[in-house]
This record gives sequence, C-alpha cells and structure tokens, in this order.
Amino acid sequence: MSKKKCVAMLLAGGQGSRLGVLTAKIAKPAVPYGGKYRIIDFPLSNCVNSGIDTVGILTQYKPLELNDYVGSGKPWDLDRLNGGVHILPPYQGQKGGDWYKGTANAIYQNLAFIERYDPEYVLILSGDHIYKMDYSKMLKQHVDTAAACTIAVLDVSLEEASRFGIMNTNPDGSIYEFEEKPKNPKSTLASMGIYIFSWDKLKKYLTADEQNPESSNDFGKDVIPAMLAEQEKMMVYRFSDYWKDVGTVESLWDANLDLLNPKINLNLSDRNWRIYSRTQALPPQYVAESAKVENSLITVGCEVSGDLDYSVLFENVTVEEGATVEYSLIMPGAVIKKGAKVRYAIVAENAVIEENAEVGGDPAVVGHEGWGIAVIGDGLTVGKNAKVSANKMITENVGEGEAV
Amino acid sequence: MRTSAVAGIVFTNVHDETMEQLTEFRSMAAVPFGARYRLIDFPLSNLINAGVYNVGLIIKEKYRSLMDHVGSGIYWDLDRKNGGLHLMPPYNTRSARRYNSYIEALYGAIDFVERCNAEYIVTYSAGIVANVNLAKAIESHTKSDADITVVCHRRPGLADRSIGLNIDADGRVTDVFAENDLSTLGIMIFKREVLLRLVRQAYQNDATDISPKDVAAMIKKLRVFGFCHEGYAAIMHGKESFYEANMDLLDANVRHDLFCKDRPILTKTRDDMPTRFGTESVVKNAFIADGCVIEGTVRNSVLFRGVKVAKGAVVENSILMQGTEVKAQAEIDHVVSDKNAVIGEKMVLKGNDQKTLMIGKKQTL
Repeated sequence: MSKKKCVAMLLAGGQGSRLGVLTAKIAKPAVPYGGKYRIIDFPLSNCVNSGIDTVGILTQYKPLELNDYVGSGKPWDLDRLNGGVHILPPYQGQKGGDWYKGTANAIYQNLAFIERYDPEYVLILSGDHIYKMDYSKMLKQHVDTAAACTIAVLDVSLEEASRFGIMNTNPDGSIYEFEEKPKNPKSTLASMGIYIFSWDKLKKYLTADEQNPESSNDFGKDVIPAMLAEQEKMMVYRFSDYWKDVGTVESLWDANLDLLNPKINLNLSDRNWRIYSRTQALPPQYVAESAKVENSLITVGCEVSGDLDYSVLFENVTVEEGATVEYSLIMPGAVIKKGAKVRYAIVAENAVIEENAEVGGDPAVVGHEGWGIAVIGDGLTVGKNAKVSANKMITENVGEGEAV
Repeated sequence: MRTSAVAGIVFTNVHDETMEQLTEFRSMAAVPFGARYRLIDFPLSNLINAGVYNVGLIIKEKYRSLMDHVGSGIYWDLDRKNGGLHLMPPYNTRSARRYNSYIEALYGAIDFVERCNAEYIVTYSAGIVANVNLAKAIESHTKSDADITVVCHRRPGLADRSIGLNIDADGRVTDVFAENDLSTLGIMIFKREVLLRLVRQAYQNDATDISPKDVAAMIKKLRVFGFCHEGYAAIMHGKESFYEANMDLLDANVRHDLFCKDRPILTKTRDDMPTRFGTESVVKNAFIADGCVIEGTVRNSVLFRGVKVAKGAVVENSILMQGTEVKAQAEIDHVVSDKNAVIGEKMVLKGNDQKTLMIGKKQTL
C-alpha cells in the first residue's frame, strides 16, 4: 500500500431507529433519497470530488443492502488499485471480537486498516446527512492551523441549537468547550458530525479511550471532551451551504422536497460536483396522455398516468390513471393504483396502494395538532378503499376498506 | 452448453449512408435512440442476455462516439478476462483490403473468429431495434443441426415484393425470393467452420457480398434454417424509419416488449439527476430520460438526457437528443434535433407528417 495523505472513515453502522419502518430492513445510509440516490452517495461523492480516494465504510446494522449497493465502489470511481472503498464489518480476532460499541470504538477496531495507508490525516464521516462539501478545503484549514482536530460546524438558529452538539469557540475559531444538546446554548455552531484528526493524535486518544472502562467509546461524548481536557488544539470549520440531517421521517421528507424548491441551493446536476449513484440501466420514464405532472421529480422506469404535484418518484414507480400523489415520496417499485390518493406520505419500496385507498392528510385540513407524514413500510399493501390517516407508520398490510 | 460456445460479431457501420445527418459524425451503431440508448445497445444486450459474452465489433469509420459509448464494455458486463468486448477497426496491412464490403469486413475479423474457441458465431447488423430472444434462436440452431440459422420476422406490407423467405414445416429455408412478408432481420447464426469456409471462399473469389443469388445456391447445399422473432422489430433505414421507431415507444405494447424485465436492454449510464417538472409544465404522452428540466409543454415526444424545455415553450411530435435546449416561447413540431441543439426564444419550427425537420448537432437556431 502506498502512503495516503488522508483516509476517510465513514460510520455507517447506525440503525437509524427514528426512521422506523424505513430502516426495518436496511441501514440508514442505504435509505433512498432524491429519486435515484441513497444517503451514502453524498459522503462518497464528496470524498471522490474532494480528492480522497481511500474510504473505509464501517457497517454493523443490516449491512446486506448497503454492501450490495457499495460493491466495488465503481459508481463513485472508488474501485482503485491502491486505496478505494473498503467495507469494514466487526470481526473476530484471536482473543475473540466485539460488535462496534460506539463510533470511537468502531474506528479503534480498524486502526490496522488506517495504518496500512500510513496517512497524516483521518476524516471521520457519517452516513446520515445530505450535503455537498469540499473536504479538501477543510483539510487545508486543518493543516494551516496545525490543529489536532477540526470539526465542521453549521451556524444554526438559537432555537435549533439545543438539538445539536454545540461548539463554544474563541474568536480565532478554536474550541474551548463542547456541549451536547445544551438547554441554554452559548453558541449556535452545531457539529455536523464531520471530523478531521491528525492521525497520531487520533491513534493516541482512541487507544486511551479504549483503555477507559467508563467510556461509552463515542466521539462526541468521550473522545472530543478528552482531547479538550488535554488542551489539544481543536478548531471549527465553518460550513454555510445546504446540509440536512435526515435522521427522522419528517426531515427525510423535507430534504427530498427541498430538491423541488428553487430557493434552496441543492443542485444535484452540477457537473463540477456530481453526486454519483449506483444506477440500473432502466428504460426511460413514460408520462401518459392522462397524466398531470407539476413540480415533481421523476426518474427512469416510472410510468405515470395520474396526477402528481410536489412529489418525488423513485425508480420503477407506477402511478395509475386517476390516482393523485401530492407532497409525497414514492420509493422504488411502489404502485399507486387507480383513484388512490396519497398526500404528505412516504411510500416505501415495492409497496402497493390499491384502488381508491387514501394515505396521509393535508395539515391544513386535518389540523397541525398531531399531524405528521404517513409512512407505508416496504412491500406492504394498503387495500382497496382503505384509509391511512396522517402521521401513521404502517408496518403491516392494511385490509380492504380498513381505516387506520 | 458452455457459454463460450457462442461468440458474436456486430457490424457497426451498416447502411450508415441511409441515415443522412444522423450518421454524419457517427456510425449506425452509435445513433442515439429511445431517449437514453444508442442502437448498439440492442445487439449487445440481446447477446449477453443469451449468455454470449464474447463479442467483436466490426468498425470501419466514424467510430469515436461508438468507442466513447461502449468503453471497456462494462455497462453490458462485457469487461471480461475470458471473452468480453473486442473492437476491430480496419487492420491495414499490404494484403488486407479496407472494409468496403460485407465480406472484407468479415475477412478482417477472421482472426477473431479463428481464435474465439466458439462453435457458433452470431453475426448481427447494428440498426435493428428489437429485443430478440437469441438464446432460443441459438437453441433452435443447435437442435436442428443447422449450418446457418437466419433470424426473420414478419413485415406486413412487404408481401408483394419478392424478397420473402419460405420456410418448410421443419423450419428449413426453401426459398429466398418468395412473395410473402417473412423478411430477414440482419441476424444470423453460423457454425463457425461454415462461416470460416464461406468467408475465405468469397474473399478468394473477390466477392464483395453474399448476394441473394449466392444464398439461393447456399440453401440447396447447406442446412439453412429460419427462426422467427415474434416481438417488435424496427429496421433503421433512413430518417423516416428512425422517427417512426422512436414514436413507436409511446405505445405501451412496444415499450413493454422492447424493454421486458427478463431481458433488459442495457446502456451506458450517466449520473444525471432525475427529470424535474416545473410548476407550469404540461406533459402528455412522452418518453423521457433523466436529467431533463421541463417547464413548458411537451406532447407526443421523446426526450433524451438533459433536454431543457423552458417556460412557454411547446414541443410536439418531436425527438430531442441529449442536451437539446428549447428556449422560452419557442414552438416546435415534427422536429428531430441532434445533440446539444438550441432552439432560440420564440422560434417557430414546424414540420408535418410528411416531413420532419432535422436540426444538426450543436446547431443553434
């Protein structure tokens, strides 16, 4: 292995439990996004566009689909003779083995992988966010400031600040304190979960953290505070473009519909910063005479004969004549039959909404109290004339005429 | 049957001249078709769907777009250690003639045929849009112990011309000048030894082609069988056939036959975003690739990747190739635009059923 300046480690083992039925069978980074992408396309594309060609992907929860999707790394141009993408699941050694206990432990267990490339810097990423970011700029700042660790931050509103890990900084951008979800935030600089460490420092603190039986082996809770306590030089890297955590049903829905909002700066067709994805060569989409399509994203393999407004159709979706889809995400292979109405909903892969069924509700009609996105789990059927109200998460088939 | 028992040869420059502007810069095989494909995708996909992973492309000229499209063959899973894709541009030696005929082209590929270790060779002319079940054709070829199997299909309307095939109850071709509508589809399966013998003989006799007369003689001496392709087929022979075959894709039956799920048609993929429909878009009866932005009106049309139709623009009965831009308030009807054409604001351009208008590659109006 020849030396690499910077190796990326992508934490992709989380369950994403707040996405409920959407991550019942797949890991969060494999959740479909934007018609033809998966969440993991964003960090992988950012890496390759930033000139980072060595990426370890740490998997643990339901990795089958994710492994399949990443494959040799070819779609992201990460199939390399030297470097490239590597899937790193937990493993057994001579003295047994362990599941990844926390984000820091996951990296600790793969120190040998990083060692092979003898890097100077390690970039830690997660597979939960939609954003386009040039990591090489962050790396440059890290090198220029001679920091031990640089943490990417986003300036959020004061109300939002208590949902994030907040960095309290000196005027020069150095961090003096880290607070996880503070009730009374002193700053609005929220951690984006993107860290660059100098490799020697990372190795030192991960090894120390592992020897501490009290530690939960987490970057945010343990490693960062330990480094601060030792007065290591910790810097923030300010990021101000689009970034969204898609950890909840509503934020995932929001982040998809953001693609239809001309005021939001998230252009996925920028030739200078392509977002790559593993695509199948499916036939182009067909929009029928009876269709009425407005303000939507539609991709290959779809057949649309019904009405669409403010929605995202993923691959191979069928919307039959007389069906209505509004403010919704229809994931790959789902079928919306004649006369069905889907509003403010996420219909997962291969689900079928039978004739005249109704899914979800408009907050203006059902009232904002208790309103939420309706979610139909993958492969499920909502029977003829059945009704699924707003905010319901459906985990088993809904029978004909049933109302839930 | 071991999969390496069959190899394929595709002629990529056949009838280039009939396609006028469409083949000005590219070969027949590289002509864009059906919103995201090029014609070569059909032979390559049909071959691999039949387990044929050893494919030679006979290339004569204007092959840059074809090479760019097929690359290493990875999109068809043809980047193989064993077999895979072989590009065969003219091989200029003192003794070899430049591919000016069918026989010269095949003779140029004779090394490939000799070395490929296959028992059967499928020869395929680019310019045929069809999803042919070649596995079945090959099976029929081996079962009937044929020397040559000719893939044919019915072309209603041609019955009165004396170019039909007659096939007897056993499937054997008995006449090639029959007055019926059974016509050849540009795909033949040969026993390798038979192909080698025929090509060497013809080359030595200075023949340029295997003429219908030769074939008529052949069917007496050799075991020549027919295999009928029952599904959709279109043969590219001129701009009209190109326009019609693209428009055929608006018919659900044609689409479902051509792009059937168990024998997918594969192509080079690009990383385009899904197609975005604007707030005032009106789209009816259209076949559309990824990467388009549609803010105007589109009816009865085929849009390739990255086409932009601005607000107030109207596109009807047209085929717009990759990157075409139709600016605000422009109106076009019965237009075929080549790649990256630009139709300026308020431009009105209308052809009709008798005459479709062509806009050249990168042309701005």
